[in-house]
Amino acid sequence: MSDDNAPAATGAPARRVHSSRARWAVPGIAAVAVAAAFGTPALIATASSSDAPDVTAAELVARVADAEPQALSGTAVYTARLGLPEIPLSDVSGADPINLLGGSSTMRVWTDGQDRSRVALLGATSEYSVVADGPEAWTYSSEDDAVVHYTLDPADRARYDELAQDASAGRAPDVAGDLPTPQEAAQQVLDLARQDATVAVGAPTTVAGRDAYPVVVTPTSETTLVARVVVSVDSETSTPLRVQVWSRDDADVPALELGFTDVTFAPPSDTALEFSAPPGASERDVVVPLPPEPTPEELADAEAAGAGDGALPPGTTVTGTGWDTVVETAGVDVVDLLAADPSSVADLPPGVQERLESQGAQDLYEEFVPQDGSGPVPELDASTLYEQLTTEVPQGRLLSSALLSVLVTDDGRVLAGAVPADVLIDRAG
Amino acid sequence: MSPADSHAPLPAPAEPARRRGAFARTVRAELRLVLGRRRNVVLLIGLALVPLLLGVVLYVTQSGAFAGQGPGFIGRVTGNGLFLVIASLFLCLPFLLPLCIGIASGDAIAGEASAGTLRYLLVVPVGRGRLLVSKAIGALVFAACAVLAVALTGLVAGAALFGVGDVTLLSGTTVSVGDGLLRVAAVVVYVGLSMTGLVAVGLFFSTLTEVPVGAMAATVVVAIVSGVLDQLPQLSAIHGGLLTHHWLDFAEFLRLEPDPGVLVQGLAVQAAWLLVFGSLAWARFTTADVSS
Repeated sequence: MSDDNAPAATGAPARRVHSSRARWAVPGIAAVAVAAAFGTPALIATASSSDAPDVTAAELVARVADAEPQALSGTAVYTARLGLPEIPLSDVSGADPINLLGGSSTMRVWTDGQDRSRVALLGATSEYSVVADGPEAWTYSSEDDAVVHYTLDPADRARYDELAQDASAGRAPDVAGDLPTPQEAAQQVLDLARQDATVAVGAPTTVAGRDAYPVVVTPTSETTLVARVVVSVDSETSTPLRVQVWSRDDADVPALELGFTDVTFAPPSDTALEFSAPPGASERDVVVPLPPEPTPEELADAEAAGAGDGALPPGTTVTGTGWDTVVETAGVDVVDLLAADPSSVADLPPGVQERLESQGAQDLYEEFVPQDGSGPVPELDASTLYEQLTTEVPQGRLLSSALLSVLVTDDGRVLAGAVPADVLIDRAG
Repeated sequence: MSPADSHAPLPAPAEPARRRGAFARTVRAELRLVLGRRRNVVLLIGLALVPLLLGVVLYVTQSGAFAGQGPGFIGRVTGNGLFLVIASLFLCLPFLLPLCIGIASGDAIAGEASAGTLRYLLVVPVGRGRLLVSKAIGALVFAACAVLAVALTGLVAGAALFGVGDVTLLSGTTVSVGDGLLRVAAVVVYVGLSMTGLVAVGLFFSTLTEVPVGAMAATVVVAIVSGVLDQLPQLSAIHGGLLTHHWLDFAEFLRLEPDPGVLVQGLAVQAAWLLVFGSLAWARFTTADVSS
């Protein structure tokens, strides 16, 4: 590459240098233009402040209670920073609700504002859909092409339809008593919330490109793990657009966040709201029992026993108040429950399924599934997940996250609450 | 483009009419060269064999224990031949397609330089800028052929082995064959357009060196490094701008309602890489001394 071979370059070296500099400026300008094109929308989004008029917390909650349920479709992003241990294989398994334990997930939401909706959890090349249509619901996982169909049994179905008809005819079931006005309901909600927290409306912000009012609920308790809960409510439709839960550990980013990044208030298409099992997919039916209708005597009993306690199933006790509440359930064998999971490798009867035909396969199997059950198991099953997420403590096993602690004791009690782990361990004794 | 001509080693700016004809001839010659080169034809045949191989393997094993299993879309192929197109593209995207496209685009200028033919090429009464454009067209057409080779053999093999039926989308909704074909065609187009950024990167490396293998390797390395960086959660801030980050977004066409925002985002990133590396290649090629 000497100049001898490039006759054009020998003519005017000074001009050439200038010209070549000018030419190299073009990619520089291109890079700046690209950076500007990609950076500007983000900057505008963060810089733009809303000019929505100020409202009080009471007005805002009343508006939310008064608002018609909106038909909408949109994209929502869910982010969890719960400080849980990393879950193995979560990247490999595609779109799976297990991903919600940590990291960021994108979801598509369609709802007609009534009782039909579809929520799809997006994976790179997969999807996990939950479709609800009144008393029926389906989940569909594209990864394993499996449908689970949830229904009510015929008797419950008839009762559901009756209730739905009553509701649409404006006849409320007697049990509900007088229907409060939105303002009254809002006041009740606020009063309830203010027992244990302060409620305020923050400066208007922008969520999914719409003006929104953040309702900030700050617990007054000093022990709870929850620092504050922020619900951002759309200024026009009063639809909650974003929920953020901040933990005491991290003041910079919310521990849990679910918010729309894009939302359209229009009825979604029918294809989005209906579901029929695709041909060839494996299908499983689950009949969900509707809670039995309480008889008037039971209702009276429940009222006599005082709100709250009467509704508790046997073996469950509640200690603490407000945000410090700890729920304790006795007589639960978590390990047994998890082992009954069909995907669990651990529940294979020893010596039956674990003996494979060929020696090579047997060796491979033993390589990946150690007989002592400690090593990595190729499939993510509930027992492994339980082992991964919890840590050993003298009382049993402890799940400790940024917002919630759960202690499973060796004598079959489960304690859970939004309190530090020490509190649970103290309670367990 | 006229300043570019002043640097061409040969003078005599021809009159515009003739030059326009010359450019068209250059492009035609370039296409003949790219598509007629034995190495490139072998690459295309190799790519075309991927869906064939995958289809035959799935056909033979479809009654076995692993039927309906596999990552991505492989598990769906036995039910519907159309998915062979998508499964094959999915398999080729991480490595085979970037490799073939890297070879073709990395060779574009550096190949001529190493063969000593670049200086003769510059004798053609076409400015260097236009010469680069014709080289870019050649590399882009090869990239399109590479994607089409996978897609068309996938379609034919899939239809022959498994038949074509209603398409089940990722959301579990079933759409008609016509709609399914349209969606698969859109996937192919999106994958093709996703390669344009890599072609520009390859072209830029090709202007830097006289060793074609170096340019080819560097191009493939860019694709692979981009894929690796995409896996690091610590770099999530820059993931959106990575060359390969949006490649798998073709799956958007298999969702219930493809979100145009996602697709535009992916194509905009490719356009950005095309713009930056295209202009880098232009700046380098129009200012470089060509001695061989």
